[in-house]
Amino acid sequence: MSSSPALRMEGVRKTYQVADEEIVALDRADLVVGGDEIVALIGPSGSGKTTLCSIAGGLLTASQGTVVVGGNDISDYTSRQLTDFRRTSVGFVFQSVNLVPFLTARENLLVVSELVGRGGRRRRKDAVARTAELLDELGLADRADNLPAQLSGGQRQRVAIGRALMNGPDLVLFDEPTSALDSQLGDQVVKLIRDEMKDRGTAAIIVTHDDRITHYADRTVRIEDGRISA
Amino acid sequence: MFLALREMRRAVVRFGLLVAAIGLLVFLILFQQALQDGLLTSFVGAIRNQSAPVLVYSVDAQRTLQGSTIPPELERQVRGAEGVGRSARLNQSTFTIRIGEEGDSDAAIIGTDDQELVRPTTLTAGRRPEREGEAVGSDGDFRLGARVAVVGSPGVRPAEVTVVGLAEDLQLSVTPTLFTDLDTFRAASMAVNPGATAMLPNAIAVAPADGASAERVAASINSVAPDADALTRGDAADNSPGVAQVRQSFQVIFLLYGLVVPLLTGLFFLIITLQKAGSLTLLRAIGARASVLAGSLLLQVGIVMGLGLAVGVGLFYPLSRTGVGGLSLRFDATAVLAWSALLLGLGLLSALASLRRVLRIDPIEATSGPGVR
Amino acid sequence: MRLALRELRRRPGRFVVAASILTLIALLLMFLGGLLDGLIGSSTAAYRAQPGDLIVYSASSRESLVRSRITAETRAAVEATAGVEAIGGLGSLQVGARLGEDPGSRELVGTVLFGYELAPRGLPAEPPPTGEVVADSSLRSEGVSVGDTVLLGPQRSPLRVTGFVDDTRYSGQVSLWGSLDTWRAVTAANRPGQSPGDTVQALVVRTDGAPAAVAAAIDAGSGSTATLTLAAATEALPGVAQQRSTFNQIIGVTALVALVVVALFFALITVERTALYGILKAVGASGATLFAGVVTQALVVTGLAATIGVAGSLALDAVLPAGAIPFEVTPSRLITSVVLMLVAAIAGCAFSLRRVLRVEPASAIGTAG
Repeated sequence: MSSSPALRMEGVRKTYQVADEEIVALDRADLVVGGDEIVALIGPSGSGKTTLCSIAGGLLTASQGTVVVGGNDISDYTSRQLTDFRRTSVGFVFQSVNLVPFLTARENLLVVSELVGRGGRRRRKDAVARTAELLDELGLADRADNLPAQLSGGQRQRVAIGRALMNGPDLVLFDEPTSALDSQLGDQVVKLIRDEMKDRGTAAIIVTHDDRITHYADRTVRIEDGRISA
Repeated sequence: MFLALREMRRAVVRFGLLVAAIGLLVFLILFQQALQDGLLTSFVGAIRNQSAPVLVYSVDAQRTLQGSTIPPELERQVRGAEGVGRSARLNQSTFTIRIGEEGDSDAAIIGTDDQELVRPTTLTAGRRPEREGEAVGSDGDFRLGARVAVVGSPGVRPAEVTVVGLAEDLQLSVTPTLFTDLDTFRAASMAVNPGATAMLPNAIAVAPADGASAERVAASINSVAPDADALTRGDAADNSPGVAQVRQSFQVIFLLYGLVVPLLTGLFFLIITLQKAGSLTLLRAIGARASVLAGSLLLQVGIVMGLGLAVGVGLFYPLSRTGVGGLSLRFDATAVLAWSALLLGLGLLSALASLRRVLRIDPIEATSGPGVR
Repeated sequence: MRLALRELRRRPGRFVVAASILTLIALLLMFLGGLLDGLIGSSTAAYRAQPGDLIVYSASSRESLVRSRITAETRAAVEATAGVEAIGGLGSLQVGARLGEDPGSRELVGTVLFGYELAPRGLPAEPPPTGEVVADSSLRSEGVSVGDTVLLGPQRSPLRVTGFVDDTRYSGQVSLWGSLDTWRAVTAANRPGQSPGDTVQALVVRTDGAPAAVAAAIDAGSGSTATLTLAAATEALPGVAQQRSTFNQIIGVTALVALVVVALFFALITVERTALYGILKAVGASGATLFAGVVTQALVVTGLAATIGVAGSLALDAVLPAGAIPFEVTPSRLITSVVLMLVAAIAGCAFSLRRVLRVEPASAIGTAG
């Protein structure tokens, strides 16, 4: 376990205004995820797990409380700062994989660095090298030029993990990675996630309501009605 | 019904843009249709809407009245040609006129020595000229009873013409036009050019003798008189300089605009049908009949086309009241209806691709999951 | 940007119909523009070729060449005006011409015979001797070559063509350029009632001062003239101003249609991409970057359409028989049309801007399923 935590949330509260009513999505949430820890976040739908995950990944800002990711306090970041933060410091693997359908596996990994377009040839060369390295590690070297539609479900999942790892993130967030998969494939995928994270010593939060995942995780955190019950 | 309208209300920007595009296109088509009709009518209305079945120009005139001169020898040949019944001299020239205190403007005066043979076919107001100094004028340019002074050379008393009748579409070369007798025309000419001596006719108007057709008479005149260019009324109008060019130019324009409309509606409905394929499948799965979904699609096409046509006609109508650049435009209900029917038909036709897609939806897809497209 | 271009390359299918609609619109824009240029060009080129700054008509002519008469006396008064550097008479006659030697031919070409003194652009400084003319090059397409004789008017006045000059048509007809004497002789022969005597129809004036001031001085000095700048006189030719304004309105509305089509198409595509945009924003792409992608695609699709439109216009120009339609393709018109289309494309994208910016990165998580 590395010394500094990947995520530290203290007293985080998130409320939404719906019509005249204030909805509390997350209340007094405290959570620390260690530098290479894998945490499973479990709760029924509407419990606040998506909100928590979004705040940890800089997709949403908390109404109250402190959020520190990889040593950066992002609690008061502007949306522009958050965009940069997401690009440089966290990785996402979305539900049902969500690769860009008209890009090859390689291009799906490169998409973020290309979208930003800054940094010149040097950075682009680095990105290309890193893509090749990741594809190789993920066993996709011979699939690099295939479109998502030409890949199996597991291969797509691996491409998605590759994309999340491109920026060398402090924390990777998995959103229901197994929800669209049958149990056998789901099991494989979770194992894959665990191996890849552990190999790199990268912390991860896996949002799920799939109990199978929990025994691959270092720790399981339950959330209900916006409260973490540990 | 419910579905179609609900969807349109939820996507008001998209449907609004489609309606706007179609509305603008309809407006452009109607506007240019009116422009073409207006141009052609103002070019040659006076020729088309006069009563003589055959007009004889000199070949050199290239089918313009004013450029034509009929020397006595040619006139004799024309009158003597086979099948020629009644014939009359025709003179036309453009004059500077003044009505009351208004500024100077141009008018074409057409004079003839037989106002039975050469007269505007239908009057919209007033009566035919009965004595020298009276004329029928193109409506929109003259008021009934207007006293028109033909501005002459300095020191010469202007000739005066009184408008006693009005007729629609009587302009020549986009100029206000007066139909009168030859004496009145001569008086106008003399005011401008007091020194002029003999005045040769610009054209000879001919009615076929009993039993002869206008085409036959025109052909027989052309065969006996090499310097004559005899044309039936319709040919004289259609072969006037510029008429064919105007027609051809506008045909290209109409074709292109006419293609854009169905392509646009076809593309739009195909895209939104593909986009909502999932929900359509779901609707089929929960028991909506395919015919209901198809009907809903066609209803949307109909509504969009209807609104587009309404917008287009709504834009065109005020413009047709004011006219453009001195050219009067007409709100021709027949043309508007014909274009509306054509475009509506094309619009519905263009939705066929989407319709096929809707009818092909298999409700079973709803249970087998979305998969990767 | 690369993402946007890749989508265009990998999924051309979904852009094809939009591109073809825009191609038709581009063709329309260029056709309408070409028609306008052709119409205006063929009715005003003879004026635009004039060497001076001012045109002097008689006061009562109401700015019409055919109605105008300038006497030798008036001419002397104009010539004496301060600021007048050079002066030349101009006369015109609209008349049918028989090409070839057959005086009985029924095939005529509409021509305008000009008599000049100050040489218009492309014409010899010294007008051709009596009985000879330089013809507008459009007469070539009628099969006339240097040395041929054309017969003018009912009197078949013979004129020998000794050369050609480009772009000098007038009133939609072929112009023939000769000396004032040639013009006077042909007019007297074919229009006995309108013999000009020693008058001319108008004067072309080159000034060495401010043209507007000289024009005012000429009219004040002569008392019987109406002097216009060359540009104003060209615009005052019959139909020119009306044609221009009517066509420009139609072209403007057509460009508006292009704008709405781009807006519509990309609004549809953007709706389709909402989920994708959510993901791309979640992984760190900014709204501006994504919108730049939309604009890029719109520009490429429209640019492609405009390019095909240009090719189509050029093809149409080549295919159209000379004189069938007054259609003229000019580089400046094509460029203007392309620019108009591209501007419409960018403006059309603006309709999607709000939707692209409004996509929440957070929508990428926990929404599907």
